[in-house]
Amino acid sequence: MELLVPELGLFFWTTLIFLAVFLVLRRFAWKPILEAIHEREHQIENSLKEAQAARDEMARLRSDNETLMKEARVQADKILKDAQQMRDQIVKEAQTAASDAATKEKEKARVQIEAEKNAALSEIRQSAAGIAVEVAEIILRKHFEDKQSQEGFARQLINDLSKN
Amino acid sequence: MRHINVLILSTFMLFSLVAYAQHDTHEHEPETTHEDTSAHDHLQIPEHAEDIHGAAHEEKAFNASEMIMHHVLDNHDWHITDIPSGKDAQGHTTYTPIALRLPWIFYSSRDGFVFSSTHDLDAKNYLVYHDHVYALKAGAVRPHADAHGAIHLEKEEWEAYKAENVDASVTLLDFSITKTSFQILIIAALMLWVFLSIARSYKKNTGAPKGTASLFEPIIVFVRDEIAKPYLGDKAMRFTPYLLTLFFFIWFSNLLGLTPLNSNIAGNISITAALALLTFIIINVNGSKDYWVHIFANPGVPPALRYSLMLIVEVVGVFTKPFALMIRLFANISAGHFMVLSLVSILFILGKGGKSIGGALGAMPISLLFTFGIYFLEFVVAIIQAYIFTLLTAVFVGMAMESHDHEHAHEHAHAEGDHH
Repeated sequence: MELLVPELGLFFWTTLIFLAVFLVLRRFAWKPILEAIHEREHQIENSLKEAQAARDEMARLRSDNETLMKEARVQADKILKDAQQMRDQIVKEAQTAASDAATKEKEKARVQIEAEKNAALSEIRQSAAGIAVEVAEIILRKHFEDKQSQEGFARQLINDLSKN
Repeated sequence: MRHINVLILSTFMLFSLVAYAQHDTHEHEPETTHEDTSAHDHLQIPEHAEDIHGAAHEEKAFNASEMIMHHVLDNHDWHITDIPSGKDAQGHTTYTPIALRLPWIFYSSRDGFVFSSTHDLDAKNYLVYHDHVYALKAGAVRPHADAHGAIHLEKEEWEAYKAENVDASVTLLDFSITKTSFQILIIAALMLWVFLSIARSYKKNTGAPKGTASLFEPIIVFVRDEIAKPYLGDKAMRFTPYLLTLFFFIWFSNLLGLTPLNSNIAGNISITAALALLTFIIINVNGSKDYWVHIFANPGVPPALRYSLMLIVEVVGVFTKPFALMIRLFANISAGHFMVLSLVSILFILGKGGKSIGGALGAMPISLLFTFGIYFLEFVVAIIQAYIFTLLTAVFVGMAMESHDHEHAHEHAHAEGDHH
């Protein structure tokens, strides 16, 4: 029975000591401890948030970089392609110009050659006609020196004409 | 606590066990070494002394329930052990107790507050018998005491003596620092030391907890997040310091109660009663309007019942909550100690107080195995009971503080039952 009956003295001391411990600990232990824990939890939460933000920022920057790189690459490709095109065009134009020039030159040469040839031909013709007249004169003079042969020739000519 | 000594000794040395058992039987024998004090012969039983002495080893070999009650109950001495100090005239070993004599502090309607050692009480005409103090009538004779101041009387003899010599008209209120209240002081000192030093470490270190702080921080956070917050809501921070003190007080008490030389205090009903009373006060001081309305005019019940049966049920309910807390903690902790002590006692009973070494050896595996089992179970019980007491305090206070609409009051009460 003694086991089940609370004793006044012990009850009194328990209450007194427990309350004293509670009051001291509340003021000097639980308050600073709970505050420190709370503050640290805040800090950790904030740090995590900041870390997340930094990670997001990083990811954003990385994707930006990638876009820039891609754009740069596209631009570089375009520039290269343009350059190539331009080169081709220049080469082509050069070729065309060269061949045109050559053709013109050839034409000019041909025309000149033709003109020279014609000139030469007409000159030849003229000199040939002169020569022929001189030759004819000489022949005629020789022929007319001999009367007999002239008459023979006139006869032959008339013969030929009559045959014709 | 001696049972722990027994536990350790029995683990390693059988002979220590035997010696212990012998001394235990010796302790309860009447000492027969004081023939010089013949003034109170009628209170002594000298003609039986020789018989008892001779028969003691057979008859009073080992009284397990006496030993257990001695260990579990409070005491004005902090008795650690007895050591053999020599031989008396009959060749029996005498023992000197190693004990801390705690002072008597009590209020007496005759002398006011008395603060005294056990010895000085004699001069003030008080008598200490079986750890209780009695005021003696003027001129009363004192019963005969042995060398250690122990009085050995049969029950009827004591009743007769009491009727004749004790002044029943004097009211005595015993406020002594007993073994148990001394233990509370130790726990208080331990708690102050541990938590004040932790608090200091938090001031210096704002990073991760180190050392002792890292051991206790998860528990502190557990009490705050799993006990205070779910049941007390936004008022949680106001009650967290109390809940923390309560939790660690009970847990430390239980743990210290399991270590050698310390007394188990949560197995004492005075302590659990004091803690339960504090819970009772907190519940009722913080009770909301709804809480009182529910008790005195429960809106969910027809008026005929509301002011008769329900009133009784609710008012009784106010007291049963803390009462259950008191009984639960007391019963759980003392039951564990009864188990351990009983299992250790098997050794002495089967060993016949050291005479049957075979019996003791036979009992040893069972006794030790079960003792170890229960002992480690007690470590779990120590924290579980601290948790339950603290949790239920938070739950009850939370329920008392709750305010809800009256239309839903009834359903709510049912839902609450499921919730908690």
